[in-house]
Amino acid sequence: MMDFFKLGVLLLCVAGFAMKSVAADDQFFEQEVAPILQQRCLSCHNENESKGDFSLHSAARALEDDYIVAGDAAGSHLLQVVTPDDGKAEMPKDGSPLTAEQIAVLTKWIDQGADWPTDFVLTEAVVSDFDWWSYRPLQSVAVPTFDDPESRFWVKTPVDAFVLRQLQQRGLTASPPADRRTLIRRLSYDLIGLPPTPAEVQAFCESDDPAAYEKLVDRLLESKHYGERWARHWLDVVKYADTCGYDKDKLRHNAWPYRDYVIRSLNQDKPYGQFIQEQIAGDALFPGQPDGIIGLGFLAAGPWDFIGHVEVSEAKIDGKVARNLDRDDMVCNTINTFCSITIQCARCHNHKFDPITQEHYYSLQSVFAAVDRAERAYDLDPQIEQQRRDLEAQLAKLTKQQKQLEADIKSLGGNRLQELTTTVASLQSQQAVQKGVQFGYHSTITNNQNTEKWVEVVLPAPQTVGKIVLRPCHDDYADIGSGFGFPIRYRVEVTSDETDHETTQWLMVTNRSESDQPNPALGPVVLTCDSLPHPVRRIRVTATRLAERRNDYIFAISELQAYQDSDAAIDSHEGNLAQGAKVRSFDSIQAAPRWGRKNLVDGHWPSAGDSDVQQALAEAIAERDQLLAKIETKARVAKRDQLKAAIKNARENRDKLPRGKMVYAAATHFKAQGNFKPTNGTPRPIHVLLRGDVQQQGTPVAPGVLPFSSTDPWQYNDLPDEAARRVAVAQWLTHEDHPLVWRSIVNRIWQYHFGKGIVETPNDFGRMGAEPTHPLLLDYLARYFLEHGQSMKSLHRMIVTSNTYQQSSAHREAMAQQDQSNRYLWRMNRRRLSAEEIRDSIFVASGSLNRSMGGPGYYLFALEKTAHSPHYEYHKFDPADKTTHRRSIYRFIARSQPDPWMTTLDCADSSQSTPRRNETLTALQALSLLNNRFNLYMAQQMAKKVASDASDLPSQVDLAYLQIAQRQPDLESRQEMIAYAREHGLANLCRYLFNFSEFVYLD
Amino acid sequence: MYRREFLKRMLSNAAGAGAIGPGLVSQGLVGQGFGGLALASMLHDDTSAATGGVLSSPHHPAKAKRVVQLFMAGAASHLDLWDHKPMLEKYHGQDSDFGEPVEAFQNGLGPWMKSPFKFAAYGQSGKMISDVVAPLGECVDDIAFVHNMVGKTGVHSQATYLQATGFQRPGFPGMGSWISYALGSENQNLPTFVVLPDHRGFASNGPKNWGAAFLPASAQGTAIFPQRDNPIEDLTPKADYVTSAADEAGLEMLQRINQRFTQQRPGDSRLQARIRSYEMAAAMQMSAPEALDLSGEPAHIMKLYGLDRAGATYPKEINPAEETEYFGRKCLIARRLLERGVRFVQIWSGNDNGFPRRNWDSHENIQRDHGPLASGMAVGAAALIKDLKQRGMLEDTIVLWTTEFGRMPSSQGGVGRDHNPYVFTNWLCGGGFKGGTSYGPSDQWGYKPLERDRPTQVYDIHASILHQLGIDHTKLTVRHDGIDRRLTDVHGHVINDIIA
Repeated sequence: MMDFFKLGVLLLCVAGFAMKSVAADDQFFEQEVAPILQQRCLSCHNENESKGDFSLHSAARALEDDYIVAGDAAGSHLLQVVTPDDGKAEMPKDGSPLTAEQIAVLTKWIDQGADWPTDFVLTEAVVSDFDWWSYRPLQSVAVPTFDDPESRFWVKTPVDAFVLRQLQQRGLTASPPADRRTLIRRLSYDLIGLPPTPAEVQAFCESDDPAAYEKLVDRLLESKHYGERWARHWLDVVKYADTCGYDKDKLRHNAWPYRDYVIRSLNQDKPYGQFIQEQIAGDALFPGQPDGIIGLGFLAAGPWDFIGHVEVSEAKIDGKVARNLDRDDMVCNTINTFCSITIQCARCHNHKFDPITQEHYYSLQSVFAAVDRAERAYDLDPQIEQQRRDLEAQLAKLTKQQKQLEADIKSLGGNRLQELTTTVASLQSQQAVQKGVQFGYHSTITNNQNTEKWVEVVLPAPQTVGKIVLRPCHDDYADIGSGFGFPIRYRVEVTSDETDHETTQWLMVTNRSESDQPNPALGPVVLTCDSLPHPVRRIRVTATRLAERRNDYIFAISELQAYQDSDAAIDSHEGNLAQGAKVRSFDSIQAAPRWGRKNLVDGHWPSAGDSDVQQALAEAIAERDQLLAKIETKARVAKRDQLKAAIKNARENRDKLPRGKMVYAAATHFKAQGNFKPTNGTPRPIHVLLRGDVQQQGTPVAPGVLPFSSTDPWQYNDLPDEAARRVAVAQWLTHEDHPLVWRSIVNRIWQYHFGKGIVETPNDFGRMGAEPTHPLLLDYLARYFLEHGQSMKSLHRMIVTSNTYQQSSAHREAMAQQDQSNRYLWRMNRRRLSAEEIRDSIFVASGSLNRSMGGPGYYLFALEKTAHSPHYEYHKFDPADKTTHRRSIYRFIARSQPDPWMTTLDCADSSQSTPRRNETLTALQALSLLNNRFNLYMAQQMAKKVASDASDLPSQVDLAYLQIAQRQPDLESRQEMIAYAREHGLANLCRYLFNFSEFVYLD
Repeated sequence: MYRREFLKRMLSNAAGAGAIGPGLVSQGLVGQGFGGLALASMLHDDTSAATGGVLSSPHHPAKAKRVVQLFMAGAASHLDLWDHKPMLEKYHGQDSDFGEPVEAFQNGLGPWMKSPFKFAAYGQSGKMISDVVAPLGECVDDIAFVHNMVGKTGVHSQATYLQATGFQRPGFPGMGSWISYALGSENQNLPTFVVLPDHRGFASNGPKNWGAAFLPASAQGTAIFPQRDNPIEDLTPKADYVTSAADEAGLEMLQRINQRFTQQRPGDSRLQARIRSYEMAAAMQMSAPEALDLSGEPAHIMKLYGLDRAGATYPKEINPAEETEYFGRKCLIARRLLERGVRFVQIWSGNDNGFPRRNWDSHENIQRDHGPLASGMAVGAAALIKDLKQRGMLEDTIVLWTTEFGRMPSSQGGVGRDHNPYVFTNWLCGGGFKGGTSYGPSDQWGYKPLERDRPTQVYDIHASILHQLGIDHTKLTVRHDGIDRRLTDVHGHVINDIIA
């Protein structure tokens, strides 16, 4: 495992006890006493956190107060607080009391002198035993062979050999094969999630081709519907949904490209390693390829707390909690999905059963420390992507030259230029100010300078605007004076729309948000904008970096003026279109009379007064400009202009490139929304959080992965670049020696075929999970998978062509006596169709299925009140809406308000990884299948179709039954159905057909 | 009426064929079950109707059988309802000083603000509560107030999850789901866990607050919307072509054909359980409308719940009369459901954070929004308590009043209050809880618990409720993805001081 870590590593720190020579008394402490203290007391009384000012970290700390009085257990406070009275003890505070035996040990230890070796320290318990089946390397396994002809005849694929060996060892025998109609039905649902057509059933049942079954398997694996069926399994595991969940449950309009990506990847039989890499670091590993970006939808698939990110800043506790939980979701999704290991508990404490420490866990958080969930573009045209990269490179080069030039000028100006700059600033601040009681508009106060805030003026009607003027404020608060609250970075935009809606377009008047701007003091900031294509309804100033007040930050402007004519006199109220207009803002302190929104357009702003100061200021500015002119030789000016033009040109060209389509995915660059801001690729610093508490930061951690042995290197101490971190993890996951990843995926695939995995806990191969029933088979399949192009389709083929898979599902009492739950596969498992299969089959039966693939999800609800908290009103849905008559994988999944019909039928909860669905039976399920308006409508559609496809009632009934059961009914049932349909009509019959056990169960 | 006869016939048919009865229970284990959890779920589903939940016998003798949870969405102010603070009256309008840096959710650190409502003493216990909840004055001697509740976050969504499910993120079963899973229903013809959402919309997180998550679907809360055509989703068919005769004959045909399918596949208990689920569905179709039908309630009961103004119309602005009608109706329905054996009823007051506000998130104006919401809630809650009491049901029914967090003792510059996750109030009533008690005081401002290192958390409330139901909260566990999950996670203490 060592060689594939390209970068420096740290050795695993085996926490626990520092070793030393051991005397007999010490042994008693180390072996008997220390484990009790460590397990029951240490989580609150340790080196970092010593509640009640009591720590059990070392002898010195433990014995410094009178908690432990050596030689006097009865007089030791420790014993008093842990000894239960009436079943309850004061300590441990958050757990059951110590047992009598444990108390006896402590008593003995204290009475005997409380001997605690001086260099022996207690740290949180760590599981250091790596000896566990799933951590061991994949074995090379020979396929069992058989001598007797009967066994040799039955063994068709290696799967059979392993299964038969286990059956024989347990005195079990395999079941005969299922009949052909059962087989084609089983296989069709299993591989494509749809029933076979009556014609397909007939052809297969009547075929005398010995390879008919294998040909059927090939046909189904090549079907486009294969990806639609198997992507659903994957999306269950990764928690895919089309809304964010949490409060408001906002829509994700562009989550679906990831769903389509999974379908496409499975249909293409993409090697699993590539599939993993695209989902963790596709942007870095496959540049220019859309799937490399769309695959990152994986990291963004889970829930996201809108309020915790957008409304609460990262500087606040609640903001930190939201972001910690967000990274937790990414870490757990990655490790649960690909490694089948539970890691979630290590957010708060070392894993109690598996060798995973908090440090390992936070190292994984560090891998995702720069990414958030947001929309990002993926261009479909590689040429455009190339152009974009070229332009970005060119821009970087030009900007560097520009910086160099400015630096040269500054150094050539020497001390005098420095002095003049200071003088100008000082004089500006001395200007005697004339101002009224109305200061202007003032935002609320924030602790984060980079909070985005805006204020806007709504003109009474759309107008041509040629000039906009911003007037700075003056306030003596914190001795700031002129230019109080004027943003350091900002942009000014206009739009023709009175309110925001989806098509609202903002036109940029000026963008000063890319570099810090000098404070204008009390000078007007004049922006001409006479080339605007539309009349203007709203003018918005957005501060992107706020002005400092006193250790906090605000945004304030005294006045905003707007004139039609770019030459208009700005000190005149005449022609000021903004005067008295409506003002809106992100927020406002509204402290009348000084501060208020309406003060922004009240015609009052502060102006500088004292003429001496004005004079001195003018002279200083003149001298400064002269000096600059000298330094700025013609050549330099030309160079500067040239650079400026080239930068502008490159930017324009870049911005003109088509932006491609958007996908909701892991992203480092995106448009900020409130407090939700991109990291722009700079990883957030990650610390171990004691007890998972964001207010208890421990040591900082470098990015890392999980070790598989005590000597396995696991941390990258030299990876500042965020993408490189994800690349390292992607490569770690897809290394062929990884003991978990390959076992994990073949077990998942096996489980979906048989209903139960070789390991019954598909998301947990740790000590709390199940152990494999067929460990050799698991390793054989994992190796086979690795050696055959990591092809899922090859694996499917091996499994479904086995005789094991083709067995009948019939009960055999003698076998059941020994292996009741069919762990060893002496028969096939009967299963109920999933919610999606039932819904899709109802479409097929009623002739309504539209088989078109992909695209945005369709709504199975009426969508209302989207502006604030969307309402997903399922009871207002119209089942006749043809746009919804498509396969269920394409429905729009609302995370907090899931579809009741689907949920009743055990559809996955998209807030939790669902590696295997429940299969429950409830009265509500019966009501759903009987009375849901979808069922009622589709029954009518089916009746219409059957009535037009067959002439007389008996043959109509036969046809209807064939649609749901893929066979002829038995005589008794047939007569009952005909009689019922005669009395109550075909639609009523079809309604009940959807409720037949024969329809919803697969033998 | 036909349904009732039909059902009777069907039940006797089925029993004759040996389909129902104790035999089914033991067969739950046999056959085509998948091992592990799924098997347990199926077993549960097979048997829940007959025997209750997974808990075959309680961990200790139970004092209560059922729970009704009143959830005030948006964060109801302890300071304006139950937690009287004379200091705020004294220092009203003066700059607030918390003695430490405080992180407000919005800008909630304005001057101290007294409650706009007057407080008065009620009952033997002399409990001070505010005018807007005065109807509960007659009940305070039955109520145990817990004034030192603390949360973990001031974000509505996470905080609502925490109070509803014990975890501050999605994906965990609600308290009602856990209790349904453990105890099952006393009436198989009604859902075990019923939710009465605010009719104006779901609170933060919507149905995820009462989802079964990884528990079986039968443990999920069933939302009932009494005002809709189908108060329970899909309860009755709404299609022209479905007549009652077609429905009746169809179900009989279905059961016969499914029975034949089942007989051809021995050893698979699921198939028999499925047949039974259709019988239960038919029974629910009869029971549910009856349970929701208030027309038989006598006038004095309607009056008690504030439902004596049939046909009244209301202004657009939020007002006490309308709130009383909404909340009172839910409380009366809750009583009828509890009477009929429903295990857990959850009533929501307040919808999502739209405008105008129809929830308890009174950032702008406590008086305007808390006033009507609290008046309506208090009439309904008081009626429910008194009604349960006069029927002898209060002794084994727990009423829990809760919300996601409290509100700040300071204003936001105006007449509203910001979020306060640092302290808030819950109260419990009935089910063996000690009435007339006020446990765990908050500090003089109502900003944090008086004893900061001895707060009460949701785990303690959940542990105490489970305790009264005969469940040891540390023993009710379900293995999910390698972790033994509990309602109380790894926390929780039974609050003995509020147990009678």
